[in-house]
Amino acid sequence: MVLAVITLIYLISAIRLGPPMRDGNMTASFFPIAIGVVMLLALAAAMAHAIRGSRGVTRAKPAASDDAPAARQYLGLSSGAIGVILLTAGYLLAFDMIGYFVSTFFYVLLLCSLFGGGFTKGLVSRIIAAVVITLAGYLLFEIIFQVRLPTLWSQ
Amino acid sequence: MDSISGLLGGFAALANPETLLYMIGGFLIGTFFGAVPGLTSVLAIALLLPLTYSLDVTTALVACASIFMAGMCSGSITATTINIPGAPSSMMTALEGYPMQQRGEGAKALGHAALGSMIGGSLGALLLMVMAPLAADVALLIRTPGKFSLIAFALIVIIIAQRGSVTKGMIATLLGLMVATIGIDVVQPLARFTFGSSVLIQGIDMMPLIIGTFAISELLIQADSRSDRTVDPSKIQAAKVRRRDFIPPFSEVREIGMMRYLKSAVIGYAVGILPGAGGSMAAFVSYAESMRSSKHPERYGKGNPEGIAAAECANNSMCGGAFVPMLTFGIPGDPTTAIVLGVLVINGLQPGPQFMTQQLDLIAPMFASLFVSALILIPLTLYLLGPYFLKIVSIRRDVLYSSIAIVALVGSYVATYSTFQMALALVFGILAYFLRKQNYPSVCLLLGFVLGPSLEEYCRRSLSISDGNPLIFVTSPDSLFFLALTLVFFYFMVIRKPKTRLPQAEASET
Repeated sequence: MVLAVITLIYLISAIRLGPPMRDGNMTASFFPIAIGVVMLLALAAAMAHAIRGSRGVTRAKPAASDDAPAARQYLGLSSGAIGVILLTAGYLLAFDMIGYFVSTFFYVLLLCSLFGGGFTKGLVSRIIAAVVITLAGYLLFEIIFQVRLPTLWSQ
Repeated sequence: MDSISGLLGGFAALANPETLLYMIGGFLIGTFFGAVPGLTSVLAIALLLPLTYSLDVTTALVACASIFMAGMCSGSITATTINIPGAPSSMMTALEGYPMQQRGEGAKALGHAALGSMIGGSLGALLLMVMAPLAADVALLIRTPGKFSLIAFALIVIIIAQRGSVTKGMIATLLGLMVATIGIDVVQPLARFTFGSSVLIQGIDMMPLIIGTFAISELLIQADSRSDRTVDPSKIQAAKVRRRDFIPPFSEVREIGMMRYLKSAVIGYAVGILPGAGGSMAAFVSYAESMRSSKHPERYGKGNPEGIAAAECANNSMCGGAFVPMLTFGIPGDPTTAIVLGVLVINGLQPGPQFMTQQLDLIAPMFASLFVSALILIPLTLYLLGPYFLKIVSIRRDVLYSSIAIVALVGSYVATYSTFQMALALVFGILAYFLRKQNYPSVCLLLGFVLGPSLEEYCRRSLSISDGNPLIFVTSPDSLFFLALTLVFFYFMVIRKPKTRLPQAEASET
């Protein structure tokens, strides 16, 4: 459904670029309009296929959904994935504002806690890991590959 | 003669200590990423891509080639020892390797896998060196309408190669094509789909798309797992191996036969040339053919070294074949070669028919790296590190994925020194996460994005040559050839599907 909405926005924008053909030649809108139309057809086919499939499953196994508890999902995202997205979005904001060192240290520390299953378990080893990964990243990018990373003082 | 001396010069370039260091380093990284379940050599090369901004192009290509080769063979380590293929291309190896492991012959199975990889990888690299210049000569004959039909052929084959999910492959490819149209039009100076944002005028860079699709989406998927380590430590104790057991007995190698190795290498190479096929398809086709032609097909699925040799020989030989369309036509057929194309584009190089002759000094070391990685580094790594493989790949997930996140995100920053690229990588990561969760092949997204601009450009140029008459695509012989080839592939891959029965399928039915 999300893809269908994106495709519709894309198709409307493509149509607003102008007519697809002018003087017998393709214009800048021809290709996007063609892609948009084919995409909508493909999405309709996928949806029809999914509906047919779900009907078949319901007929064959009416009580299949009771077998195992599904992981909690929010808008199709698992709680772990949401955690990674929020941490990464925060990191991107902090990266420019407070520089590489501070932002990376806290990002790695929080990410380690997320992947390690909690904030209290093995906190010391995670702090050490965060320091080592931050320094290793600095060594790799700034020293070896000479990439100028933002610092707190360069803002 | 010039090309022979150029190719030999590639081997000489490996003598440079820095280049050699990157080749060995790349091989070890590729081995690690290929062996850890969930990680792939594609991810390793994707993480290397940002570093190529600061790296010499030859060195970067050498590292990419060794990662590619290592990633193909190292998936067999966990496939054999704990029945979890480290890479999708090692699924057929798991069918034979794990039963051997259960019989106490795990080390021997790894030895057969390494031998097959060594033979297949080196033959594939040799075939690449011989065939690529010939393919380049053929490529010179293809004109604009033919180029359009060739790219259309590549995209259609990539879609229909997605067994059981052709519609999803098509949607992912079209999504890639849509993303590729953002920015300045390929023919006219007109901005498209920028939605008033000046940062989108230049279009979407390949880097955030690759990092997002392969690195960030992997982080999001792995965030669901609750285990502390990549491989359960209790399984390591059960899978102890000794160094001397790695050498396969000569009697078994003779029983497998040189012809089987050669045939598997040729199959793998040919599958590699096909767009979208990849190592899994090469291993599958070769394994199926090996079983069909075997004197003892009943032994397959019960720990038969023949099956391991056929699968591993083919998936490593595929590495050589995959480079042919990318180098001669500028058409990558799989994610690895698409990223290697990115390395070339970042350095201002555009592959095409004359690329092999004009830039041989730059790419010959990459060929040499493929060959040396297969012939020397595969057996050497197994012998030296084999007993410790499982300990190496069983590392803390929090440390591993945090490190990947930093390399991926800071790597995205390298291209333009802007956090916008990092944000784009996150956006593409979320998109790829949803696609992967719904079983959409994310590789189609990447290949659609890479091939999209050329497809549009050649289509529009062809039609402007013919005053808008689409019949130019059937009246031009080269174009007609590729359209006919598309129909042939469609017939064999969609209408008349292969019906080989494999042990896994048979087992699941009983």
